Amino acid sequence: MKDPVNSSKKTSDKGGDRPLSGFFPRWMNINILAQDVGFFILGLIGASIVGWVIFPAVLYSKHPQPINFNHALHLDSEKVDGIEGETKAEKCLFCHAFRDDGTFVGIPKLESCTECHDDPESPLGETPEEKAFMTKYVANEEEIPWLVYSKQPDCVYFSHIAHVKMGNIDCATCHGDFADNEKLPLYVKNRLTGYSMNIWGKRISGFYWNKKFSDRMKMDDCARCHTEKGQEQNNACFVCHK
Amino acid sequence: MKLTRRNFIAAVVGGIAGIQATPLPWKITDDVAIWTQNWPWVPVPPTGEFTEVSSVCNLCPGGCGIAVKKVDERAVKIEGRTDYPVNPGGICPVGMGGLQLLYDESLRFTGPMKRAGLRGAGEFTEISWGEAFDILAGRISNLRKKGTPEAIAAVDGNPEGTTVSVLIKRLMKAMGSPNYVRPLSITDTYRMGNLLMQGTLAPMAYDLENSDYVLSFGCGLLEGWGAPGRVMNAWGMWHDGNPAKRKTRIVQVESRASNTASKADMWVAPKPGTDGALALGLAHVIIKSGQYDSRFVADHSSGFDDWRSLEGTNHIGFKTLVLEKYSPEQVAKITGVNPKTIVSLAKGFANAKAPVAIYGKGKDSLNGSLYEFMAVQSLNALKGSINRSGGVLLPDPIPLSNLPPLEVDAIASEGLKRPRLDQAGTMRYPFTDSLINNFTDAINRNPKSPVDTLLVFSANPFFTLPDGGGFKNALEKVPFIVSFSPYRDETANMADLILPDCTYLEKIDDIVWPTGLQYPLYGLSKPVVEPLYNTRNTGDVVIELSRAIGESVGSGFPWENFEEALQARAKGLFDAGGGLVSYDPDAPAWQRQKAGNGPKPGYKSFDEMWEGIQSGGMWYRPVSSPKSWQGLFNTPSGKFEFCSKLIAQAIEHYSNKISKKAALKNMGLAAIDDEACMAHYQAPKAGADRSVYPLLMLPYEMINLASGWIPSPPFLYKTIFENQLLKDKSFAAINPKTAAKYHLEEGELVVVKSPAGEVEVRINLFEGAMPGIVYLPLGFGHTAYDEFLKGKGVNPNNIVQAGQDPISGYPVWWNTPVKLVKV
Amino acid sequence: MKKGNDHGKNKYGMVIDIDKCTGCGTCMVACAAENNVSVRADQSDKERTITWMNLYKISNGKEFPHTEVSYFPRPCMHCDHHPPCVSVCVSTATKLDFNTGIVSQIYTRCIGCRYCQAACPYGARYFNWWDVFPQDKGMDRYLTPEVSPRMRGVVEKCTFCHHRRMRAKTLAYAEDRREIEEGEYVTACTEACPAQAITFGDLNNPEHEVSKLIKHPFTFRLLERIGTEPKVYYHSTRDWIRKLGDNFLPGEYTPVVNQTWAEEEWSTKPGRDEF
Repeated sequence: MKDPVNSSKKTSDKGGDRPLSGFFPRWMNINILAQDVGFFILGLIGASIVGWVIFPAVLYSKHPQPINFNHALHLDSEKVDGIEGETKAEKCLFCHAFRDDGTFVGIPKLESCTECHDDPESPLGETPEEKAFMTKYVANEEEIPWLVYSKQPDCVYFSHIAHVKMGNIDCATCHGDFADNEKLPLYVKNRLTGYSMNIWGKRISGFYWNKKFSDRMKMDDCARCHTEKGQEQNNACFVCHK
Repeated sequence: MKLTRRNFIAAVVGGIAGIQATPLPWKITDDVAIWTQNWPWVPVPPTGEFTEVSSVCNLCPGGCGIAVKKVDERAVKIEGRTDYPVNPGGICPVGMGGLQLLYDESLRFTGPMKRAGLRGAGEFTEISWGEAFDILAGRISNLRKKGTPEAIAAVDGNPEGTTVSVLIKRLMKAMGSPNYVRPLSITDTYRMGNLLMQGTLAPMAYDLENSDYVLSFGCGLLEGWGAPGRVMNAWGMWHDGNPAKRKTRIVQVESRASNTASKADMWVAPKPGTDGALALGLAHVIIKSGQYDSRFVADHSSGFDDWRSLEGTNHIGFKTLVLEKYSPEQVAKITGVNPKTIVSLAKGFANAKAPVAIYGKGKDSLNGSLYEFMAVQSLNALKGSINRSGGVLLPDPIPLSNLPPLEVDAIASEGLKRPRLDQAGTMRYPFTDSLINNFTDAINRNPKSPVDTLLVFSANPFFTLPDGGGFKNALEKVPFIVSFSPYRDETANMADLILPDCTYLEKIDDIVWPTGLQYPLYGLSKPVVEPLYNTRNTGDVVIELSRAIGESVGSGFPWENFEEALQARAKGLFDAGGGLVSYDPDAPAWQRQKAGNGPKPGYKSFDEMWEGIQSGGMWYRPVSSPKSWQGLFNTPSGKFEFCSKLIAQAIEHYSNKISKKAALKNMGLAAIDDEACMAHYQAPKAGADRSVYPLLMLPYEMINLASGWIPSPPFLYKTIFENQLLKDKSFAAINPKTAAKYHLEEGELVVVKSPAGEVEVRINLFEGAMPGIVYLPLGFGHTAYDEFLKGKGVNPNNIVQAGQDPISGYPVWWNTPVKLVKV
Repeated sequence: MKKGNDHGKNKYGMVIDIDKCTGCGTCMVACAAENNVSVRADQSDKERTITWMNLYKISNGKEFPHTEVSYFPRPCMHCDHHPPCVSVCVSTATKLDFNTGIVSQIYTRCIGCRYCQAACPYGARYFNWWDVFPQDKGMDRYLTPEVSPRMRGVVEKCTFCHHRRMRAKTLAYAEDRREIEEGEYVTACTEACPAQAITFGDLNNPEHEVSKLIKHPFTFRLLERIGTEPKVYYHSTRDWIRKLGDNFLPGEYTPVVNQTWAEEEWSTKPGRDEF
């Protein structure tokens, strides 16, 4: 294309070979268009793979809990005679208890475990998990570094007693049903925020057909529930922030 | 197929379009927002079980009750206790910030240490406790073997009468050294004054809460005098309700518009050091108008009227002295206070039902003047405000058991015979226990330090002594210094060996009778948290050290640990009977209970009582009815003595040794005969050419800055105003008139020069400052600790040129001549 | 926006008795300790030092020896009527809760534009120029989990210790009570004041001491005439102090003369009020 005059002439000459060639610009050539669409779709698919498959895989890391805890076993009053409570929630509250001042114990400390598992030499059951628990933690009096699925940011104040006792909300409503759970799920951590997937949404899409409160634990979810239950005054900032 | 540029663009466009339909951009945006809210370096305080531990604050001798809030093992907040008799609910800012003293690691020693760098550099290497004991015990044993145990000296800042101070004193005695000295405080002045005028040994007991007229001569009631929690609570009580119906009036006598002076009902400003003359002026007006309590004066006092001795010499009494020398006009000349004000002040005091005149100098951490105290106490006697509700009470000393007598070996008994370096208790200072300024001089005067090993307990004399830097120089000469301080203070930085104490929140310790309290109280502070570092309670360390020294020293300490020694002394509290170990806020301890109506002890054995003391932190006996006059005053005359016979005897005794003139001169007395035995005003020696140093420098204390041996919690610097400290410069408050005279403006840099030294400060123009006086705040100017405290402002103690108070020999730190030089 | 919060359940307010106030600064330290307020090596730079509760030193300006100093302890005023900070906040990080009367501040929402700081007539808002405080000194060990430590770049201010209200409510729930009693919730400064100069409570409760105190003729507010209806009141028998509560033009201030008191001989004492 050294000579702009010649080259333009050449183009128009070429176009003159076909009907309508003067009418449609060259880029509407169907072959070229098809190529464009093809590459566009290729990009689209590539992006979808990146966005839906690679990104979540990169964003989240999976961590097993330090040892397994069998909720189903511990809630079975036939096998564990220490556990008390009529309903599941009451049984939950046996270990995940309220203190006298109303604060919530959360994940019990080792001293709660050792009320029953007191002797590292004689485990109560036969599972390898218990053995590991006994030798690693009970014997060394070391707290178990549990990964907390529902750990909220430091700026959040959440009163369990207000919800569970005063609001009669079942534990499973927000946490999901752990009562029959024999194996603790993997802790899925968002690499960017450092928070568990349980908080920021179990589904990467953010869409749920029938959204349950246990699916997500973000501020919007708190507010939605407050509003639904006619507790709009509790959407004031300082009710849930500290 | 070839990938053309066009194809590539199509793919990118497709990618961009496609990515919108994936969660990636939306999720990333959200997550990044969340990510920015949680930086890893912003601490997230772990939560846990909230508990509360009741204890007693031990940062000053006030001993307020504190409740420490904890989350699991961490202490997170200190609050005042409402179930403690001293301070129903409130504490002072220093106590409030106490957790910073516990947790700021750079303020503390984390274990026993040996000096590694130069003295004062603060460089140490950690050693084991065993090694520390070996070094110290070896050194002490060596000195004892050489027969020079007196070369061991101790500076002990623990309040007098506390068990740890009793043990330290005992250790010194067992080792054979008489050189046990203490930094002086106002309680030393009280003790001497009470001994001379009343013959009592119990601490000063001002019944402030029941008084209707509190005439405070220099007490920084709102600057931290006494137990701050108690005084400020009383302040709130005094100002309750309708001002017209208020019962109690407060008058402050002080040269500066301090918080107390400003907030009082009336402020009278005499020149510094003339408070005694003002008190005598009031006495003059009261005697002249015949408004004094003639019954008390006649029945329970001596030395008021003129009298004739058995030998037939005539003596003048307090009445004659005051009437002759202290008329309002005469006093006005001395003090600069308007005669009319003196008269109205006297009337106010005389007309009150239960007036009390109290004496102090700012906080209680510095000494006062003996004669000033006597003048103020004479006022109380004139109005019969002694052994009367709302006045000065005369309780018995606290009934703590004596420890078993100590048997010393030959080396020790030889050593104890050697003279004290500070000359306290000699004929020159007959009533003085300890005189740290003389101790300092003795070291500085000798080419070779007479002290070989100096032990420093709970004190930072390098910083706190008003001696113009004398103690600092002395430290440089002492061959071996041992500090027991938990904090990296100035004195500890000079030390060769550190045996760190625990901080007050990590150990058991006792508080014996908070300063000025009107009833006996024994407080027990207990560990709130386990010791954070490898530190040990000095009480235990003293016992262990005695064992390490061994011989007769070790056998003098038969207790397993410090707590056993505490219990051994507390036995006496049980034997005395009737003390309470719990407090009901509805029955304040200062309210007189009707006989048999008050709360009952509720324990039957010593163990029960000790348990009660440990959980409640207190043993006390509420105010009882006034005591029988019989045998109340243990003076030679058996009465309250306006004219102290003990002083007369001491002068006579000394005059028998050397000439009377020389004796009076050595004792620092300008007055002679009877006047010397009574409260009188004696102008302090100028000490310098006043034409060169035309101004006076007066250090002042603030409640929101620790000026004693305890470092200030960094939080306190939030409460300091910009015209008190700006960056690294503290301010001198001077009157605008004085400033105008020297052409100084607000914020200007000046050097305050005294014969003892100089400091650089900024000028703060303050109307409330007395003209001619330069006011420098105490508590600034640390050269130790961490970046929160180090290098902030100047320490006025460094330029104090202190004379000696007559008879007591205490430093007159309120009379330093200075000049201002512009920078 | 609602006009006021008269219809809310509670309206917390505070009366500070300046005559009782001793200027000791315990309220400031208690506040800083309670709320994990940061400390810096140089705290004399008052524009950057954070003091949710701050003492202002005032003086009657008279010559020696008639000089008098006093203090205005200044928390957030929790303005009840269009708090100036709330109306300017671009990120809705600060709001007035009509059910408590407390002006909230959410640090994680704050974008650090400092508009609110400029808008506040009382200087009650502070910007975090630095992260909490020097690291590696172990000082984070005394931080309480009840208040979230702030990061650099956000504005913070007094919250009337609302976490103490939450604490009281939690305790009430544990004891099967739905409501908290008066006195169960007070701020840290109220509790700490050794002279009991601060009274804190529900202004909607006519029986409470605060409701009575605010009707007293000696009770006033700072910059009352700008109409933000602060819920922090001051009380003093001294006229010069009341006069300093606002920027009065000459002759604009009318002293409150309490007959009973003015007739008292005591009121003519040197260095005190002159009517």
